[in-house]
Amino acid sequence: MTNTMLLSWVTFLYFGAFVFYLFHLVFGKEFWGKAAFYTVLGGLGAHSLGLLLRWQESYTLGIGHAPLSNFYESLIFFAWALVLLYVIVEWRIKNRSLGVFVLPLAFLLMAFASLAPNVSDRIQPLVPALQSNWLTSHVVTCFMGYAAFTVAFAIGIMYFLRNIPLFGFIPEADVLDELIYQNAVLGFVFLTLGIMTGSVWAHYAWGSYWSWDPKETWSLITWLIYAVMLHVRYVRGWKGKRMAVLAIIGFAAVLFTYLGVNYLPGLHSYLQS
Amino acid sequence: MTKQKNPFWSFFASVYLTITLLVFTVVLSIVGTFIPQQEAARGFVQGIPPGLASFLQTMQVFDLFHSVWFFLLMLLLSLNLIVCSLNRWPLTWKQFRGAPLSGEEELFRGLSPERIFLCGEDVGTMTGRLEGLLNRKYRRIGKTQGKEDAVIIYGEKGRYSRFAVYVVHLSVQLLILGALMGAFWGWEGYVNIGEGETADAIDLKGGKGTKALPFTIRCDKFKVELYANGAPKTYRSDLTFLKAGKTIYQGPLLVNHPVSLEGVQVYQASYGSSPNGRASLAFSRGGQEEKIIKVGPEESFSLPEKEGTVQIVRLEENLMQMGPAVKILVRSGQGEVSFWVFQHIDKIREMNPGVTEQVPMFNPALFKPYLFALKGIEESYYTGLQVSRDPGAPLVAASAVLMIMGLIGTFFSSHRRIWIKIQTAGEKTKISIAARTNKHPVVLDREVRQLTEQINISLEKGST
Repeated sequence: MTNTMLLSWVTFLYFGAFVFYLFHLVFGKEFWGKAAFYTVLGGLGAHSLGLLLRWQESYTLGIGHAPLSNFYESLIFFAWALVLLYVIVEWRIKNRSLGVFVLPLAFLLMAFASLAPNVSDRIQPLVPALQSNWLTSHVVTCFMGYAAFTVAFAIGIMYFLRNIPLFGFIPEADVLDELIYQNAVLGFVFLTLGIMTGSVWAHYAWGSYWSWDPKETWSLITWLIYAVMLHVRYVRGWKGKRMAVLAIIGFAAVLFTYLGVNYLPGLHSYLQS
Repeated sequence: MTKQKNPFWSFFASVYLTITLLVFTVVLSIVGTFIPQQEAARGFVQGIPPGLASFLQTMQVFDLFHSVWFFLLMLLLSLNLIVCSLNRWPLTWKQFRGAPLSGEEELFRGLSPERIFLCGEDVGTMTGRLEGLLNRKYRRIGKTQGKEDAVIIYGEKGRYSRFAVYVVHLSVQLLILGALMGAFWGWEGYVNIGEGETADAIDLKGGKGTKALPFTIRCDKFKVELYANGAPKTYRSDLTFLKAGKTIYQGPLLVNHPVSLEGVQVYQASYGSSPNGRASLAFSRGGQEEKIIKVGPEESFSLPEKEGTVQIVRLEENLMQMGPAVKILVRSGQGEVSFWVFQHIDKIREMNPGVTEQVPMFNPALFKPYLFALKGIEESYYTGLQVSRDPGAPLVAASAVLMIMGLIGTFFSSHRRIWIKIQTAGEKTKISIAARTNKHPVVLDREVRQLTEQINISLEKGST
């Protein structure tokens, strides 16, 4: 299948971009920065094309659906959303240092999708429960949220590394703080939408908008953690280090919501396939 | 203010309480995903000492999300939200309505130099020009006389966003209320209906007894369609809903497409092969003409001339990997004899020569002089329906809409206020810009920068 070929090439492009970002920071030459950014753009373009091809291929197979229906496709979309968000952030803050931290995450997601033995890259037909118009909106909103939380996490890590001489290229604390906050807000709004679209879907498919299935519960836990984070900022004026810590804790909850709950029994466990 | 001294009031007005409650909710939820809940807890309970098990059961640890603890947390959170909102409301209202032009001299202290301009025009000209500039982008433009000959003009934007956070909190209240309504007045249960059968009651979830439905459901047909790879494609029940013998609704029920009738939702939840499939059983007497009869399990029929009765004892889709088979029991004057009749007996004989002699149970001619043959088993399904009623759902849906609107208002807009002071400074006119926002200082900075650029442009134009 062309799409999986293309997508596995994208994995290398993201790795290449990461290496260029590293060169950029080691040698300080703008050339490497530009090379990295254009590699990312090229990767994102090929990535988008791969997603579209996969979508089209599913129609050729006669089981047409958006490429958002199994674990492989969710990993690929997660990486896509992450890189897209990264490009927007780099373009807005005009600073390339974040690339060193985000690109390896995108690379890992892609590599895991392509290489992990228990992740099938086959285009599978939709079982009855997945045959819903809410599938696309639910998956897109959830993973946009996850991507924003991942960026917030990467900046949280940068916050703690910025005083180490090697990482002198990291922007100052205020900028990081604002970026953590902005990405947490973006993630929070998307996660809220993701939970809502999921609830509407569950209402139609499972007969209840909320069943305390582990994934549902963990999405609520994640939501509450970020809700706490936003409250302590607005009301108690928390900034800087504390926000960075919360961004890291929040991301741990995101990871558990995405991957950890698959080891707990529940309605969402079809993701294991 | 007396209410601030009231200990009850100040306890519930605290944001620390909110944070604490949210953290408790998080902890309870985490525990609830690791300790098996409800039906899943049964096996777990048997594996721990009975004393501990009964203690945990009393503490409602195995149904945390419907426990008194969770209920209490939600109640406290709800009270906390109400008190916090009431507490803050007067200030918000003041900031919303507030006469913006009083005591603003404070605002102009310690301004950064890029927010102060000097120009040649007189105060009157500049005032008119800047008023025009503010008017284009801001609302509630006002003007007042400051100290000495200074003029202060004012404009603001997004003051309604001050209410957005109240909308979010109202939506949380509605959500809790809707969930409680569902918990108290809603119900959920399951019923299996075989093809051609009817049901007018369901088994409530968690073994809480049965519940009569306001109508009768008849399953006319159940169908499974598979993809080429064997994965399920469609589960479909053709249902008829009856009330007092009259059809009130008839139509298919599919996964993701529930049927909603009289406030009750009916969902396609599961299915199964029903034990009452029917066998097409053929028999002939001593090589005479074959007769075919359709029988279900436990049913019997008589052989001609009262030579005996035949009862279907078992019906198997695939017995010992040898295909469909029925076990029959023939009662006659000679006593009882029981044996299996396979559909593919010829093939079985071919594969295992002499099998019917070695295993008389597999011989379809065991009851002489009759020969039995199985023509096929018609599979029969039952459909598994989930039936529920949740009077809180519309409230929850409304809360979702409100919450999103509120969140967008809270996070993506802010109340931005700009004051421009125009005063004479010797030969020249001095313009100072002060600005305040309730959140997102970055956005405000950008706006002020745009404004100063525009002022610069207008000054350049004015001077040429």
